[in-house]
Amino acid sequence: MASVNSDEWRAICDKFNNAQNLTEVESRNDPENDPFRSKYKARELLREIYCSLKSFEAGEGEEESGGESGEQRPTEQPVDGQREDGQGISGDSPAGMRAAKLGAVEYYLGVNHVDTEELSAGQEHLMNCMKLLERCRVSSENVSLFIHVRNQLGILWAGRDETEMAQGFLETAESIYQRYMKEDGSPPTDMTEYFTSEENLLTHQERTKRFELAYTHTMYYLAQVYKNLGETERAATYCHSTLQRQLQLNQFSPMEWALNAATLSQYYITKGRYMEGRHCLSAATVISGLAGEVPSEAAAQESETESERREHLRQKRAEIARCWIKYCLNLLQDSKKLLEDNIGELDTDRQDELKRARRREEEEEEKGRKSALLFGSEDTFDSIASLEEKVLCLFPLDFTEARSVFLVGQNYVTQAKEYFQMDGYVTDHIEILQDHSSLFRALAFFEEDLERRCKMHKRRVDMLEPICNDLNSQYYLLIRRQLMFELAETYSEMMDLKLTLANRQADTQSLDNHTIKKFNSLCSASAKYFQMFLDSLCSPEGKFPDVLEEEVLRPALVARFRVARLHSRLISSVPPVQLENLNRSLENYKYVVQYCEAHPEAAAAAETELELSKEMVGLLPLKINRLKARMAANN
Amino acid sequence: MAMSKTKHCEAVRVVVRCRPFSRREQTSECENILEIDDKLGQITIRKPKAPPDEPMKVFTFDSVYGWNSKQSDIYDDAVRPLVESVLQGFNGTIFAYGQTGTGKTHTMQGVSNDPERRGVIPNSFQHIFTQISRTQNQKYLVRSSYMEIYQEEIRDLLCKDNNKKLELKENPEFGVYVKDLSSVVTKNATEIEHVMNIGNQSRSVGFTNMNERSSRSHAIFVVTVECSEVGLDGEDHIRVGKLNMVDLAGSERQSKTGAKGKRLKEAAKINLSLSALGNVISALVDGKSTHVPYRDSKLTRLLQDSLGGNAKTVMIATVGPSHKNFEESLATLRYASRAKNIKNKPRINEDPKDALLREFQEEIARLKAQLEERGMLAKERRRRRNSKRLSRSLAGMEEEIIREREADVWKTVEEEPDVRHYMKEGGDFQKALTCQGTSEKLKHLNENRKSVEDMQWDQDALEKIIEKYKAMESKLLVGGKTIIDHTNEQQKMLELKRQEIAEQIRREREIQQQMMLQDEETVEMRETFSSLQQEVELKTKKLKRLYTKLQLLKGEMRDIIDEHVTTRQELEQTQNELTRELKYKYLLIENFIPPEEKNKIMNRLHFDSEEDQWSQAAKWLLTVLQHVYF
Repeated sequence: MASVNSDEWRAICDKFNNAQNLTEVESRNDPENDPFRSKYKARELLREIYCSLKSFEAGEGEEESGGESGEQRPTEQPVDGQREDGQGISGDSPAGMRAAKLGAVEYYLGVNHVDTEELSAGQEHLMNCMKLLERCRVSSENVSLFIHVRNQLGILWAGRDETEMAQGFLETAESIYQRYMKEDGSPPTDMTEYFTSEENLLTHQERTKRFELAYTHTMYYLAQVYKNLGETERAATYCHSTLQRQLQLNQFSPMEWALNAATLSQYYITKGRYMEGRHCLSAATVISGLAGEVPSEAAAQESETESERREHLRQKRAEIARCWIKYCLNLLQDSKKLLEDNIGELDTDRQDELKRARRREEEEEEKGRKSALLFGSEDTFDSIASLEEKVLCLFPLDFTEARSVFLVGQNYVTQAKEYFQMDGYVTDHIEILQDHSSLFRALAFFEEDLERRCKMHKRRVDMLEPICNDLNSQYYLLIRRQLMFELAETYSEMMDLKLTLANRQADTQSLDNHTIKKFNSLCSASAKYFQMFLDSLCSPEGKFPDVLEEEVLRPALVARFRVARLHSRLISSVPPVQLENLNRSLENYKYVVQYCEAHPEAAAAAETELELSKEMVGLLPLKINRLKARMAANN
Repeated sequence: MAMSKTKHCEAVRVVVRCRPFSRREQTSECENILEIDDKLGQITIRKPKAPPDEPMKVFTFDSVYGWNSKQSDIYDDAVRPLVESVLQGFNGTIFAYGQTGTGKTHTMQGVSNDPERRGVIPNSFQHIFTQISRTQNQKYLVRSSYMEIYQEEIRDLLCKDNNKKLELKENPEFGVYVKDLSSVVTKNATEIEHVMNIGNQSRSVGFTNMNERSSRSHAIFVVTVECSEVGLDGEDHIRVGKLNMVDLAGSERQSKTGAKGKRLKEAAKINLSLSALGNVISALVDGKSTHVPYRDSKLTRLLQDSLGGNAKTVMIATVGPSHKNFEESLATLRYASRAKNIKNKPRINEDPKDALLREFQEEIARLKAQLEERGMLAKERRRRRNSKRLSRSLAGMEEEIIREREADVWKTVEEEPDVRHYMKEGGDFQKALTCQGTSEKLKHLNENRKSVEDMQWDQDALEKIIEKYKAMESKLLVGGKTIIDHTNEQQKMLELKRQEIAEQIRREREIQQQMMLQDEETVEMRETFSSLQQEVELKTKKLKRLYTKLQLLKGEMRDIIDEHVTTRQELEQTQNELTRELKYKYLLIENFIPPEEKNKIMNRLHFDSEEDQWSQAAKWLLTVLQHVYF
């Protein structure tokens, strides 16, 4: 090998720097009709370097007994098989260094070919690099190259849809990194340092930074590989690690990171892993704070950049708030599901049982899970933890607990609405309102006082009713349908509550006039919204469709059924009105039955409703006839 | 009306156009990899350098156009029906999609002053205005906007300061819109073309690196056609049709700009940059009960109606025939093929709240009424005017001012004089307001003086109103003026017939495609039958061949084993012989050579591998020397 100070060696270093510059800087300015101009130039330089390195070797006569890259050695194992036996040339020996340098040039040539869309040539170079490295032991001189070349091969194979191949390379890279860190751990040489003069070597800090970044990429690529293989759980873990490493190594932009963490929380929420979800969200909130204060409105008006920054920060923070809302909402709803008995009321036995179970598990589990994956650098760690303490991550089991979760959620609702206002963000604003309404709904489940429960539902009606009526039905058809359905159900719930209350107060007596009036008005309001929903399905000419589409099939049948039921429940003392209501009711029950007869596949969509409807279609005519007879008798 | 209202669902219409070889490609001997069957609407793509037995990929579309196709073929077949329905109040969207250099711009714009080579956009302009001029009893208002989406930023191409980024907003009344997007009212095809040219210029002037930009940005030209007609109920009804003409970024850049619609997502590649971590994470989240803070792309949101919503959509995919473009062409065809599955639900937009035409009409009617009022006034009864009427017209003016300000957004052309206009009116208004306040009490006293003031004010206002009335009315287009021409009538008939023919051809193609499908099915069924038999035959043959081979190999193996056995026997024999001899030699040594001598010789012995015999040379010498010196 030429000595580090010889002129020839200097020339090589210069060429290398040139090539790097061409690849990374110049190539950005390449013209459209010659997009790879600089990369081709860089490739030439790299080839020259390769030849020079080879000629040094020949000149010094340190021929290796093993095969050089020119020699065709058949490789039996296509997937990366890293030698685990610890045999081979040591990395810092002259032979090892030579192999590493040649390998690095092969690596850069490989990347260059891949960049210029010559994949198979790129693969060959990368595999040459692998072969050169195969003879060496992993050491601080070459470990970086070991990782980089596998990253590149992973990308290459993933690009060809050979995900398992990619997985093989990347997983080996992962294990090489872990083994190296366990056995050695000193800041490894960066590949660019092979071709720099002594005085330009990198600092340890810089070395670590580059090496760790390469490994962060390994994690990131693995996350994608697992995602493409459908292993979402592993993918999520690797996304988590990627985020964690970005934070630890201080290689992130706060808002982007925060948003990613917030999104990851949504994954954990759907898997019922609220502790991890909460951790992600708390970290997101804390880290998003690092992005700085939101510029004031006055400042925004003065400069455009400030105004853009204001917009950006406000929007992202509102997005994170919305992720928090979902956290609170899902936690409440999941807990409700756990505690519900078969008629949707709180099951107190279950409640006690869960409370007992919780005390047992609480401590150990929280500790056990917590140590596994934690975000946070030293200075953010405490703030994240203190934010976490503000909200439960265990299922709330009684009203007090539920209320605390609700209040946190409601607080984020206010925050999110501040940015996502109705004027300008219709869809977002309404989604937030719907979540708010759902928060109330879930909280109402835990409320024992029926009067107060009823008031909670009233709040839901108050927030949804005006927008439902204001929205343009053409552009917001789907949203309006959702709102109508929700309103109808809410009114119906209120009606039931009122009835239960009235029955409790006046055990034996019949209902007083005021209650009847209230009950009837709630009942017809509910029916009105169900009917509105059904009307929205009609064609422009006002005709109800003969065949219901898949996505509205169940809602439509349920709405019909509910309309029928509501009409039969309306209280009236006037026989003709009673008759009218019963007829409407029968008509709607009949519709459900007949539709399912005509379209047997629909029956599965609304089984219980169909069964009840059939029964009612049998019973109601009797009732109607009796009523008719009584009316005739009275007349 | 040709379009039936009952047709609720319809798929996106996808057509493919293939451009001819360029001169450069011809000289560099490019292979043609595309085969086009325009009768069946099929396009076959062959992998270059593939073995001849590899099956070719066949795609079927609503129609395909080979390189001999004319601009008018595409227009008549694919676009005309769409523009027709826009005039009826449907929303319509035309997408152009394909690799850069496959003729997207040629198809969309073409050479606008050559009627033969005019592209889809100028043709549709012509079509719209011709159609309008032929209608009767309908009033039209046509306005257009032009914008560009580049790296998720929207720019207005029609306003002066087009570096300003526009925001995408939503309104409960009229859905998604681009805030502050200017829109220009146009009266004829020349004007609208002019508008487009202005936009094209600002698209290219704005950035030095125009080539890159234009191939990476999406341009959307929107024509809104509002039409009012007295309906059966005697009421005025307004229908609004919107035509979006979208020149998508070159498809080869799709992955880099990230502009792909959500529905048409490409699978599997690894994203290299950590900045896409968010995409990876959000792909893991099941969107049902969660919030994913990454929005759809602006393009998707803006055109959400066109992909699975209230619109009729045509996608024109363009491909090149050269083998060098194989991968891109295949990708384009695949993408286009997927787009066929998107179902839309177009509806006529009747009496929308944001119709500008309604506003304009009301305004005109009001101005007209005022004008008449004033005309009467000028002639007689000047003195009998009371302050009530004045205040009424003043209230009207106030309203007008507000309206004017609203309408101002749309008017970029006559901006300045208008502003002056308001100022003046504003002044008048205030003056008159004080006048109104006092007039109630001092009505009789001031009558004389006021009427003089009135007169002056009247005259001023009158002129202004007349002016405005004319300006407003000229913006509205009324059909039926040119129908007197007999030739025109005939032309209309001709076009109708042409359209019918195009319709027929289309239907024929559809039927043929269906036939093909059925044929395929039967053939497939038959094939499986016959191929089963064939398979059996083939397998038996193979079996026999393999069996003989097996026998052969078995024989060989036996031979080899025999051979080995004999060699072994021979070797055993030699070994036996050698052992016997060795024993004999040992016996000799033991009995006839004394042990000291024996050791001496043994030490001196040395096996020379080269000579393949024992030599005593080296050791012998050593012992001799030892004897001499010690």
